[in-house]
Amino acid sequence: MNHLIICRLFSRFCPRQVGVAFLLGALVGLPLVSISAQEAFKEPDFSKFPAESGPITLEVWSWVSGLDKAAKLFEQAYPDIKVHVNNVGGGPAEYQKLQTAIKAGSGGPDVAQIEYDFLPSFIVTDGLADLSKSGANDLKAYFVPWTWGQVSPDGKAVYGIPQDTGPMALLYNKKTFDQYGLTVPKTWEEFAQQAEKLAQASNGKVKMTNFFPTHAPWFISLAWASGAELFKTEGDSWVQTLNHPACEKVLTYWDGLIKKKLVSTIPGFSAEFYNGIGSGQIASSIEAAWGPGVLAASLNDKTSGEWLVTPLPQWAKDQPFRSGNWGGSCNVVLKQSKHLKAAFLFSVWLNTAKGPVMSNWNSYGIFPASLAGLASPDLHQPDKNPSKFCGGQNVGEVYSDASKAVNVDFAWAPWFAFVNDNYNKQIEALIGGKATPKQALDAWQDESLKNAKGDGYEVKVK
Amino acid sequence: MRQHRKTAFLFLAPFLTVFVAFYLTPVIYAIYLSLFIRKRVGIGPAKEVLGGMANYVRAVQDGDFLNGLKNMFVFGVVQVPVMLGLAIVLALLLAESRGIFMKVCRTTFFMPYGIPSAIGALIWGYLYSPNLSPFNQVLGALHGGAIEFLSPGVVLFSIANIVTWTWTGYNMITLFAALQNIPTELYEAARVDGATHWDIVRSIKIPLLMPTLKLLFIFSVIGTSQLFTEAFVLRPLGYVADNITPNLYLYLTAARDANYSYAGALAILLALLIFVISGPFLRRISSS
Repeated sequence: MNHLIICRLFSRFCPRQVGVAFLLGALVGLPLVSISAQEAFKEPDFSKFPAESGPITLEVWSWVSGLDKAAKLFEQAYPDIKVHVNNVGGGPAEYQKLQTAIKAGSGGPDVAQIEYDFLPSFIVTDGLADLSKSGANDLKAYFVPWTWGQVSPDGKAVYGIPQDTGPMALLYNKKTFDQYGLTVPKTWEEFAQQAEKLAQASNGKVKMTNFFPTHAPWFISLAWASGAELFKTEGDSWVQTLNHPACEKVLTYWDGLIKKKLVSTIPGFSAEFYNGIGSGQIASSIEAAWGPGVLAASLNDKTSGEWLVTPLPQWAKDQPFRSGNWGGSCNVVLKQSKHLKAAFLFSVWLNTAKGPVMSNWNSYGIFPASLAGLASPDLHQPDKNPSKFCGGQNVGEVYSDASKAVNVDFAWAPWFAFVNDNYNKQIEALIGGKATPKQALDAWQDESLKNAKGDGYEVKVK
Repeated sequence: MRQHRKTAFLFLAPFLTVFVAFYLTPVIYAIYLSLFIRKRVGIGPAKEVLGGMANYVRAVQDGDFLNGLKNMFVFGVVQVPVMLGLAIVLALLLAESRGIFMKVCRTTFFMPYGIPSAIGALIWGYLYSPNLSPFNQVLGALHGGAIEFLSPGVVLFSIANIVTWTWTGYNMITLFAALQNIPTELYEAARVDGATHWDIVRSIKIPLLMPTLKLLFIFSVIGTSQLFTEAFVLRPLGYVADNITPNLYLYLTAARDANYSYAGALAILLALLIFVISGPFLRRISSS
């Protein structure tokens, strides 16, 4: 069976999550950078990171649609290096091939895209190059600080160059909201009230939003915004708390909306989901910063201009504003690469130079992890996506605010790939009425724990 | 004699090279891998240490793996007879028809086999999706119902349907070819003796198809044990259990959880099981 073909086909059907979370450092770093950004986009001195000499071809695995445009810019700047971008599938579809290539010791790309939540599962394979040896630690100041914590868990070794983040906000279709006389909800209580109102006004035909039944990181981002922490290290062992009280609060809330048939439960990144969004059957979607860009690209600009981004609803009006994060990824260099220096240069350049950072934002909504990118006035170009998709709105601004409201101490475990899939099983039981939210979360916790222990991890439960 | 042996080896060499490189070596490597387990100290990378039969002990106690095997048996017991039954009926009907109609039918039934299974599964995945499914649109228009093709209780049979769609034509063509080989004198003699159509089918055609049918049965059983593509392709469209088929389960153990040693043990156990099941059948076929 030709996996490449399957995966190409796959990626058509499920482009997939990109992005991740946000930051603390924006609080400190942004004002400084934004002043200088008026004049210039502050880029590192790339000449400090020379590539190997001679003609080189870099193999890059990424599901970011339009990355080939950024790669062309690189080839213009560095004519000796050719970049071959290969979409071998989004998220897990890519990871499975990457794990195999690492185990085999060959056949992998020079550079690959990995989401922060999956990075620990690759760090433990010992297959990623430690970029601190190439001088990566000098680049720390160019990125949103918490993303650096994700790529450099021990503060010394660096396993990736941050690309983007995915703070959460509510994307709603203004046309649908106006048509049914809905107001924009500020709290989850208001969100549920508006959902009831919409169901009555549309005779149950239009759903308020979609609950993603097969994307654990989506649910986790909402639990994250509600104060959950799922993984921690304590001394020499891990702690896993998938049945955190905040997770239960969030899942109980959504279970209520699902049971009343106020929201749909369609797998994300499917033809069916895009059809629901594009045909006005789903009035809003809780999306990460990269979401509007991915939707604009996947819907081929259908319903473009009808959408607006508004801050994530809160549990209470008077609480400090909080958001969570979904996805966000970094570029890693594989140890097996024969062009470690060129691969490093490409990863740095891709995520800190103005050309590619803006190109990726406009073509696939890659919300930069680069501070200069975040501060750049070019982030808001009303006639280009994702702003264009949202009626010219300054999408980046809403998400920048969201990013500042994300708890930055959020860690992931090396067995997250299993946790991620096991979520689907528990949610299926929940939606099918075979489990309560508490039972579903307890099963998620227990089965993931059993797998991690079977795999030799020392895991504690709080 | 020695000269002959050399020549024989020379002719066998291309096959043996490929057989050793792509069949024997991976099997031996899988056995080797399966003897290791992971030891972790603290939160750093794991060390692979010799664990003897530990992975095999874990496998026979692994409820998920055993349920995957159960799914495989359920699938085999339901799908294989349905598919072969359909193939016999179609082959018999085809043998009775003539001219352009026969040719059109033969090609149409065989066509799904020519479509790569990943593509077939993608198309079926679309047909199965709850709201977009044309089946459900028709059902909805008729009486407002819908079938959740991808729900946990149904998905195994949805996969069985894809496999049946793909392979019935192939089996039909094989049986059809076997039917053409039956000497027509037998039919003529039977008719002279006053046999009806049904008598000919029951007493001549089916008995003479038996060797072919047995072989197709073995191939189908082995095919069932190797089910992977359809389940893998349907996964992003909804919840499809990790252990819906044993092959998917061991693939995920290797490629997702990066636990190659355990996956190796699962693969060896699965291979042994298939060997034990299909061995006696193969022996009986070769002896008859």
